[in-house]
Amino acid sequence: MSPLRRFLRTPEAVAGAIILVALFAMALTAPLFFPGDPQAIAGPALLPPFQDWSLPLGTDRLGRDVLAALLHGARTSLAVGLAAAAAALAFGAVVGTLAGFAGSLVDEVLMRITDAFQTVPSFLLALAFVSVVGPSLGVVVAAIALGAWTAPARVARAEVLSIRERDFVAGARVIGMHPLEIAFREVLPNALPPVLALSSVIVAAAILTEAALSFLGLGDPNRVTWGGMIAEGRAVLRTAPSLSIIPGVALVLTVLGVYLTGEGVVETAAVRRSLS
Amino acid sequence: MSEVTISRRSVLAGSALLLASTALPTIGWAQTPKKGGRLVVAADSEPRNLNPAIVASNGVFFISSKIVEPLAEASFDGKDGLDPRLATSWEGATDGLSVTFKLREGVKWHDGKPFTSADVAFSALQIWKPLQNLGRTVFKDLEAVDTPDELTAVLKFAKPTPFQLIRNALPALSSVVPKHVYETGKIEENPANNTPVGTGPFKFAEHKPGEYYRLEKNGDYWGKDQPYLDEIIYQVLPDRTSAASALEAEEIQLAAFSAVPLADLDRISKVPGLKVITKGYEALTYQLVVEINHRRKELADLKVRQAIAHAIDKDFVVKTVFLGYAASATGPVPKNDPQFYTADVPTYAFDVAKANALLDEAGYSKGDDGKRFSLKLLPAPYFNETKQFGDYLRQALATIGIDAQLVNNDSAAHIKAVYTDHAFDLAVGPPVFRGDPAISTTILVQSGIPDGVPFSNQGGYKNDELDAVIAKASETLDPAARTELYKEFQKKVVADLPLINVAEWNFISVVRDTVANVANNPRWAVSNWADTWLEA
Amino acid sequence: MTRALLLLRRRLVGSVFVLLIVVIGTFLLLEAAPGDAVDAYIVSTGGDAGMIELLRHRWGLDQSALTRLATYLWALLHLDLGQSVTFSRPIRDVILERLPNTLLLMGSATALSFGLGSALGIYAGARPGSFRDRLLSIGSLALYAVPGFWLGLVLIIVFAVDLRWFPIGGIESIASGRTGLDRAADIARHLVLPVSALGFIYLALYLRMMRAGMAEVWRQDFVLAARAKGLSRRRIVLAHVARNALLPLVTMLGLQSAQMLGGSVVIESVFSVPGLGRLAQEAVAARDTPLLLGIILVSAVLVIVINLLVDIAYAFLDPRVGASEAGA
Repeated sequence: MSPLRRFLRTPEAVAGAIILVALFAMALTAPLFFPGDPQAIAGPALLPPFQDWSLPLGTDRLGRDVLAALLHGARTSLAVGLAAAAAALAFGAVVGTLAGFAGSLVDEVLMRITDAFQTVPSFLLALAFVSVVGPSLGVVVAAIALGAWTAPARVARAEVLSIRERDFVAGARVIGMHPLEIAFREVLPNALPPVLALSSVIVAAAILTEAALSFLGLGDPNRVTWGGMIAEGRAVLRTAPSLSIIPGVALVLTVLGVYLTGEGVVETAAVRRSLS
Repeated sequence: MSEVTISRRSVLAGSALLLASTALPTIGWAQTPKKGGRLVVAADSEPRNLNPAIVASNGVFFISSKIVEPLAEASFDGKDGLDPRLATSWEGATDGLSVTFKLREGVKWHDGKPFTSADVAFSALQIWKPLQNLGRTVFKDLEAVDTPDELTAVLKFAKPTPFQLIRNALPALSSVVPKHVYETGKIEENPANNTPVGTGPFKFAEHKPGEYYRLEKNGDYWGKDQPYLDEIIYQVLPDRTSAASALEAEEIQLAAFSAVPLADLDRISKVPGLKVITKGYEALTYQLVVEINHRRKELADLKVRQAIAHAIDKDFVVKTVFLGYAASATGPVPKNDPQFYTADVPTYAFDVAKANALLDEAGYSKGDDGKRFSLKLLPAPYFNETKQFGDYLRQALATIGIDAQLVNNDSAAHIKAVYTDHAFDLAVGPPVFRGDPAISTTILVQSGIPDGVPFSNQGGYKNDELDAVIAKASETLDPAARTELYKEFQKKVVADLPLINVAEWNFISVVRDTVANVANNPRWAVSNWADTWLEA
Repeated sequence: MTRALLLLRRRLVGSVFVLLIVVIGTFLLLEAAPGDAVDAYIVSTGGDAGMIELLRHRWGLDQSALTRLATYLWALLHLDLGQSVTFSRPIRDVILERLPNTLLLMGSATALSFGLGSALGIYAGARPGSFRDRLLSIGSLALYAVPGFWLGLVLIIVFAVDLRWFPIGGIESIASGRTGLDRAADIARHLVLPVSALGFIYLALYLRMMRAGMAEVWRQDFVLAARAKGLSRRRIVLAHVARNALLPLVTMLGLQSAQMLGGSVVIESVFSVPGLGRLAQEAVAARDTPLLLGIILVSAVLVIVINLLVDIAYAFLDPRVGASEAGA
């Protein structure tokens, strides 16, 4: 059975993939449907959804179009999730590979630093970092990655430790390759799959962390994010519940989509590995 | 009505409130104050220092004004807009060099010692003048305080100081603390700063950090039959949506200082048993101001500042950002000020075409992308409304081709960026109008203020004429002449736009309808609540 | 025995390094922040240049960063956490006041998510791929995906405002004079909503891990052997499959302990619980470096201790310890 067919056989994975595809479609088409600034004031404030078909999902406290914000928010929320995960995975993989491959003192030092990051609650770290550097999208991404790279680092190190004793590594040593070259060209690619398996968890956590930071007033005010929309909508939770429910549902669906797809891919890959 | 409905909660709580209602079964419909009961109030922060003589700020007064009293309190109908508290009369000398206070008789500190003129002299000379955030300006020329007898205190000034200013400053700046508690050791490190001792209707009982403050009735209070309440609890509710829930769940009875978000007021006003009250903050007006960094060459041009003023739709701001709970501003003194306000100033109608024309005239034409230039805009983070206005201003500026990038800082970073580092082009600030321009609005435009002073002119603006008016007003003794000077000051500010006044607002209280005597003076939330009482 | 002691010593030495990195890192981070404790303080008071200078001097902020770090580390060596600049009280007292609340909140939430999560995980994993399995694992994931603050606010509106079953927040009734069991019951009533909000978020984690672990164990030889022996399904699930699948969850428990404190920042603020998470947020906002350092140190020590305990627990649960039964 081909991996794709195996993937398609699990309904959860398919549902997840459909959600993700829809999400990417939303993110990519947002500028087509709403070419202007999604934060522009488009109508009367606090217009409920399904009242005016030029503003189908209504407007927020200042009269900004909720649908436009939702579509543009998909872009930023996805961008935050993917960028934070990419940064965390890349950094974690490099640190883990170095620690695992170099061994002894380098390993000890890098792992103690990893421990240090793991002992500090990652949300607290993100909170302090964003307060200190100032909230902009890049800083929020960096702050989230700062708390998320330790798990990939540990997994990468464990993989590297098991791989570095294998024949092809010994072979590379014999032909006189530079240790760093061995580490990153021979060992790292082989250690990568289990590290990448963490990506869906990190993407999901990143999107949620951004929302929590927005709740505490640490979002980027120049961009629309779903987290920011929910945080702003909570002040009118009783009068205009749709303002936080609409982005909330989008957020839940996205996290579900990311998780289920990720799990489907990992399982498919795992079966293939155990078969081979 | 609520007096016959005994809620599930009050039964569960088995509180003093319920005991009081059984002890006094006859509840008159007339306004006969009832004694007893516990008033629970929402507090959103815990001030680090509860001594109002050192920290004259609303956050501190909210709690400590019930414990420590000033010489006089603001009043809707009293003489000079004042109501006597620890002083029964006040009189300024015609040369502006002294002010004489007659003090109330038979007043005792919470520890039983008598209150005398020595306490006033000590507070004025040792605390208000050297240590108090606002007193350092108003009392800078205070030289001595004579105490000819136990009930007379005479403030002596080295230079003529307008009596009008002293009078206006009394409610906020004249909290009297006991000399015998503070005379040993360093005043700033005195434990009484966190467990204040005063003469007020309530005594400090306890503070559980993160949970609540508890004040209890002062049985020896000088006010006849007062206070009526047995206890006041300030429950700490850090999240801004909690106060509304707590009111509805009948866990608290009062949320002052707009603790209930404006957008929720319409709904909550319809909840049975809850009232929305817009009075009681008249002397605590906040102003919504666009601060301008005149070091930016574009902003140093008056035409550009005028264009920005024309681009702001003040009515939209009042209607949408403040949901009608504000007034549009004409200048640096709020409309509701009874002494100094003048409407006779230049106006800037909302007119996008005119704003664009002014910018073209100034030589900043639109680029191919429709943008003239970019600005950094820093809305102050302390209020929801300042942030929302920041969002609006960014959009308003976009319509005239100015690309504003919002910078979202936390409070400490905002203060540092704007007032020390000057790392802003435009900022949105909420200065307080304290009843006299000399202690509030002038500092926002006068020059020569050192870097780092918060809520002051840090935009590099300098106007000699305006500085001269401010200086002259500060030494003019005749109230009428002084008022005239401040009217001229308003005209000059609005004409030259060192900053743009957009709106002014007062806070809102939401209160259970069992609480009586609410909002009966213009500083009610920060006054002593001696006459507040609870229907059962 | 000596091996265990050696391991413990190695762990302790490592921990000291970890703590040192944490302290210096946190200090440098806050040092780089725009605005110091005085800037944060004058937000609510205002004041002139003289007053600001006075405050900086009084709070020791006019000294160089290096001097302050050295002073801090020296005091720390004597187990002195120093004085909070904004509370003007010893940091040890400020933290000790809040620690019990946070431990109570985090402990109960962990117990809830671990207990309920693994129980539901066993229930779901007993029949992998069944309808209940899918429903539970997707449902718990959906809970995980709801932002914690939003879940908290909805719980408040439904259960505290509309139904009035529970108080809207706080840790106990104010100045009620309750003692003993009465007080414990009062605190428990206050904790129901925040613990649910915090616990339900992490429920998915344990549920899905348990379920995945069980799926793995089902395939292993000893389970097949047990099945062949004709043991009842219930017996196999509980005695063999679940027990072995529990191991990674215990490890997770250790890893999660640090994260819960982060999650409690938001929950403590929504439910007005006077705990460490909220205190940490306040310390960041007030630029109270020594206070934040104190909190992070205490939480780091906590995490290290919890992980040590987890290792001990692991030793008890390890299949090799119970090998005789597994092989039976």
